[in-house]
Amino acid sequence: MSEMWINMGPQHPMTHGLWNLRVKVDGELVIDAVPEMGYLHRGIEKICEYRRYNEVVTLMDRCCYVAGLAWEQLYLMASEQALGVEVPERAEYIRVMCQELQRLASHLMWYAAFVMDVGLMAPFGYGMRDRDIILDLFQSFTGARMTYEYMRVGGVRNDLPVGFTDRCRKVMGWLEQRVNDYEDLCDRSDIFLKRCIDVGVLKAKDCIRDGITGPMLRAAGVARDLRRDRPYSVYPELDFQVAVHDAADVYGRYRVRMEEMRQSLRIVRQCLDWLDHKPGRVIAEKVPRFVGTPSPPPGMESYIVRRGYPKGVGFSAMEEPHGEALAYVVNEGGEQPYRVKFRSPVMVNISAARDYLVGYRVSDIPAIMGSVDICVGESDR
Amino acid sequence: MSAATLLGVSFWLAQTMFSTLRPITPAPLLPLMGPQAQLATGYLLAGTLVFATGLVNSIMLIWWERKLLGRFMDRRGAMHVGYAGLLQNFADGLKLFRKQPLRPREADKLGYLLSPTAYLATSLAIVGFLPVSTGWVPGVAPLSLLMALALFSFAPFFIFVGAWSSNNKYSLIGGMRTAAQLVAYEVPLLFAIVSVVLLAGTFDLTGIVNAQIHDGWFALPLALGLIIFFVAMLAEVERIPFDLPEAEAELVEGWNTEYGGMLFAMTTLGDYVRALVGSYLVVLLFLGGWWMPAGPYTAAINGFPLAGILWFQVKVYIVFAVFVWVRASLPRVRTDQLLQIGWKRMIPLSLANVFLAAAFVAEGWPPFPKLL
Repeated sequence: MSEMWINMGPQHPMTHGLWNLRVKVDGELVIDAVPEMGYLHRGIEKICEYRRYNEVVTLMDRCCYVAGLAWEQLYLMASEQALGVEVPERAEYIRVMCQELQRLASHLMWYAAFVMDVGLMAPFGYGMRDRDIILDLFQSFTGARMTYEYMRVGGVRNDLPVGFTDRCRKVMGWLEQRVNDYEDLCDRSDIFLKRCIDVGVLKAKDCIRDGITGPMLRAAGVARDLRRDRPYSVYPELDFQVAVHDAADVYGRYRVRMEEMRQSLRIVRQCLDWLDHKPGRVIAEKVPRFVGTPSPPPGMESYIVRRGYPKGVGFSAMEEPHGEALAYVVNEGGEQPYRVKFRSPVMVNISAARDYLVGYRVSDIPAIMGSVDICVGESDR
Repeated sequence: MSAATLLGVSFWLAQTMFSTLRPITPAPLLPLMGPQAQLATGYLLAGTLVFATGLVNSIMLIWWERKLLGRFMDRRGAMHVGYAGLLQNFADGLKLFRKQPLRPREADKLGYLLSPTAYLATSLAIVGFLPVSTGWVPGVAPLSLLMALALFSFAPFFIFVGAWSSNNKYSLIGGMRTAAQLVAYEVPLLFAIVSVVLLAGTFDLTGIVNAQIHDGWFALPLALGLIIFFVAMLAEVERIPFDLPEAEAELVEGWNTEYGGMLFAMTTLGDYVRALVGSYLVVLLFLGGWWMPAGPYTAAINGFPLAGILWFQVKVYIVFAVFVWVRASLPRVRTDQLLQIGWKRMIPLSLANVFLAAAFVAEGWPPFPKLL
């Protein structure tokens, strides 16, 4: 049969966002794949240079629309280092709790999308339903469901509401049960296993060569998790395990994410126990005043007293739900960051598409790309 | 229940107008026309009624599927238009009807426009040969089962023509998959039917149901056949786990990617008419058709003219619920896996089933005077 190129995207059910996967097929066999990114580029890194430090947080929610709080913290860890601001411990615990809830929400949404790609109808509804429960939790203390704007330079905007920890514990209890159920739904289905095992294989050596991180790397047997290997925030004080699987295929990635959800539940519980007993400030006492004040209106600049602010650079690396995200913030003494640069794990993971798509069938593409967990918002920025 | 009533009424209308596909021209008009005109008018009316009953039934089937699938996914399904969303599909159909027809510039006009029409028409024509109760069938023929299956196997041809002429790569891949899949699964389907025909001794669907009324459901001796028939039917009507021709995750909408507006409505309706026919056949061949279990209430129920049809419809909707259940709980198989299941598993099993049926016949079926 003759070979032909197919454009899967920019509008295609498989893409989960706005990007284009060009695949060359020979009948049903994939013989080449070229991912094309950039349809969702909004120039967020450049916009950051014209915003005060706290105003950038708003953009971070738009960066990754399934893990907004993760990107808020990623940016703030770098900018706090650049500004020399210390974060109170209680704020750190709240942030870590947010991280793990966000990871749960992101993985649940991944689960819903992934099973849909494989063709399972019902669990899609379950995944989205449970993500909604977590969004309800977020709404109770940030006021928003997707674009939170909750974290601030030096801490978080507000403390948790009364009774939050009990409510959260209840939700964690439900989720623990349900994660097991979801795993049963897939693991006991022969067709699901047939679709996932030995599909989209990318061995550890190739993962490392391509710079792939996150669950994809851990599914290839490499136990690398920045929460443990380059600890940030209060992760060193928390007890959790790094989920690893040896399969290096779609099934391994699925198992790693399921295990990560359980570990996230553990971490959230530990955070809640700590937060119950240690009241305190949630934002640093000394924060440079300019980070939050709005930019002066035109013509009023001369009324602002400009001082020589301390200079510095900040770098942060964190284990985001999709992989390792890095941020670099340069503070040249102005009221806005001089330069902000991010490294998105999704961008790297998608860019290696040729390595894990070639040799499989057209029917495998949704399952494989689904197992990558794509969030185009953060890869294109 | 309301759906069942609606279906019952539609079939009651059909029955009062014709019990066979003979001319049914209204009596006052008869003296006005010659024999050919009478025949033509009769066939036109009969065709319209088959069209109406088949369409109403499949639209209600879509409603049933949406409600059930909603419940399986922990949501409610359609619920705003009409009572419990009963009119939602009519609203959707109206919306599609009002859409501007768009045809790809490079598409082959004849094939593109003709194939959804032919797909829907051949699928609806099958309904004309399926009895829903004693005498309630437009097309009475000694070989009605063969006729229904012959019409049933037209579909891959039209799908492939439509897919090819829409000049789209997704359509083309979907069309090729359809052809491969439908050809592969027609064989076990026919073998499963052969086992039923062996036991019943007739190709007439009414006769097959009568044989079951006499001997008990064929689902009991031919449980294997029922499973094979059901699985093959899942593949024939292109539903999950065998919905590869329109696997939306990779092929957007498969062979009907380029169809929009009313043409899309026609392809979708065609799918559901085929699903309806599939459920009908499962009930007619294996589950005793319109035969009701006997009991103290039988006499009372039999006094009601629609009892058989209602009973039949209930069974059809239950069978279709199993289709939906399968759709909610199974992932989609891959093309090569699908063909492997078809050629390597289904066909040997269906042959074994034929041998089983032959053994039953040779040893004398039924082995006891009367089963139930």
